[in-house]
Amino acid sequence: MNNVFQINIIRIVLIFIAQVLIFKQITFSLQGFAYIHFIIYPMAVLLMPVKTSRSILMGLGFLLGIALDLFYDSPGIHAASLVFTAYIRNIIIAFLEPFDGYNIDDVPTLKRMGTGWFVSYVSVALIIHIFVYFSIEAFSFVFFFEIFLNTIFSFIVSLILVMVLQFILRTKY
Amino acid sequence: MYNVIQLFVKYGAHILFVVLEIICFYLIINYNLVQKEIFLNSSNVYAAKISEQQSKITQFANLRRQNDSLMHENSTLIENLINIEYSSDRIPEADSLYTQYSLIPTTICNSTVHLRNNHFTLCKGSREGIRKDMGVISSHHGIIGIVRNVSDNFSHVMSLLNSQTQISCAIKNKKGHGSLVWKSMDPQRMTLEAIAKHEKIAIGDTVITSGFSTMFPRGIFVGKIEKYEVMPGSNSYNITVKLFNDLSNVRYAYVIKNRFGEEQSKLEKEVTDE
Repeated sequence: MNNVFQINIIRIVLIFIAQVLIFKQITFSLQGFAYIHFIIYPMAVLLMPVKTSRSILMGLGFLLGIALDLFYDSPGIHAASLVFTAYIRNIIIAFLEPFDGYNIDDVPTLKRMGTGWFVSYVSVALIIHIFVYFSIEAFSFVFFFEIFLNTIFSFIVSLILVMVLQFILRTKY
Repeated sequence: MYNVIQLFVKYGAHILFVVLEIICFYLIINYNLVQKEIFLNSSNVYAAKISEQQSKITQFANLRRQNDSLMHENSTLIENLINIEYSSDRIPEADSLYTQYSLIPTTICNSTVHLRNNHFTLCKGSREGIRKDMGVISSHHGIIGIVRNVSDNFSHVMSLLNSQTQISCAIKNKKGHGSLVWKSMDPQRMTLEAIAKHEKIAIGDTVITSGFSTMFPRGIFVGKIEKYEVMPGSNSYNITVKLFNDLSNVRYAYVIKNRFGEEQSKLEKEVTDE
């Protein structure tokens, strides 16, 4: 149990550092209007053990979001979207439950759950997270077209990045 | 207490979610300029809509009060009109507020139009300063009648449309005066008698009060000449006057208070008593 706790802390810190120091710097623009952002920090919440309670996930999401906001200079925006993602994560997991259920110590990683399950889990969670994030950033559905483009492009690159990282690292937990 | 704890155990995660999101949005709105602007703008739009609806409702509820204040405003305006008419009559007083005529705005409680002798009842009485024999007008364009009886809170007005009515009237910009009486049963038309026939008058001339009584000041508009004729052997015109105001649907009235009215009638009475 203690082992799981430490591993999660280390992973969260690593994801945070990677997001802030590396992926924050990379931003493509396509013909001046559609922006591509690499958003991998939701994985900190998404890769927590399956049976983690919602409250812990949301507290973690809130703290991580505030920390990210300090670096992104946008108080509250990451925190709000990450708390929302944490809130719906267990719903997505319950929705994707395999035929024989989850084990008590299951971790939703590529190696444990298989490629198909992992891809659908991460895509659903990521696209919701990114859509919510850009909606809150724009703060008005007047900009629906921009939100939509941002969501699609950022989702594609972020999903590819997450899959690549999972294939490279192949962590057990 | 137990129930509260149960509630938190059952819905703790949801409550936490709401609380955290509220904190986040508080941060977003307070520390992000763009979002703050959008939030303020859109909330202003909704707030404006809500307050517009609210003002529509309260406006309706306030109509009575607004009417009252408009009536007071009207009364001062008509007072000014009357007193301008008199302003050249006397050497200006040291006190410029010293005016001969003032108005008491009031509403009409009860009225009759279609009888031979018609009456009005006003919703104000002696407590507000209304006395017997004061003139009553509905605006600067129309007289209503003369106060005949006053109680504490009501006053009884003899309408223009009464067989006993006799109001001293003149034709605007013409010399001479006559008295206005009601002979027909038409609530829109009255008869002006005793205008000497050497006076040149025309259809459409304006009939005004002459000011030769203590009740009405000079220059209140009464009506227009509709037709006139000279009876054979008579020395004066028989003029049909169409009234400016429709007495059947007046709701508000002003009672004219003449500061020197008592003085004048007292003096005149002394002469006739001799």
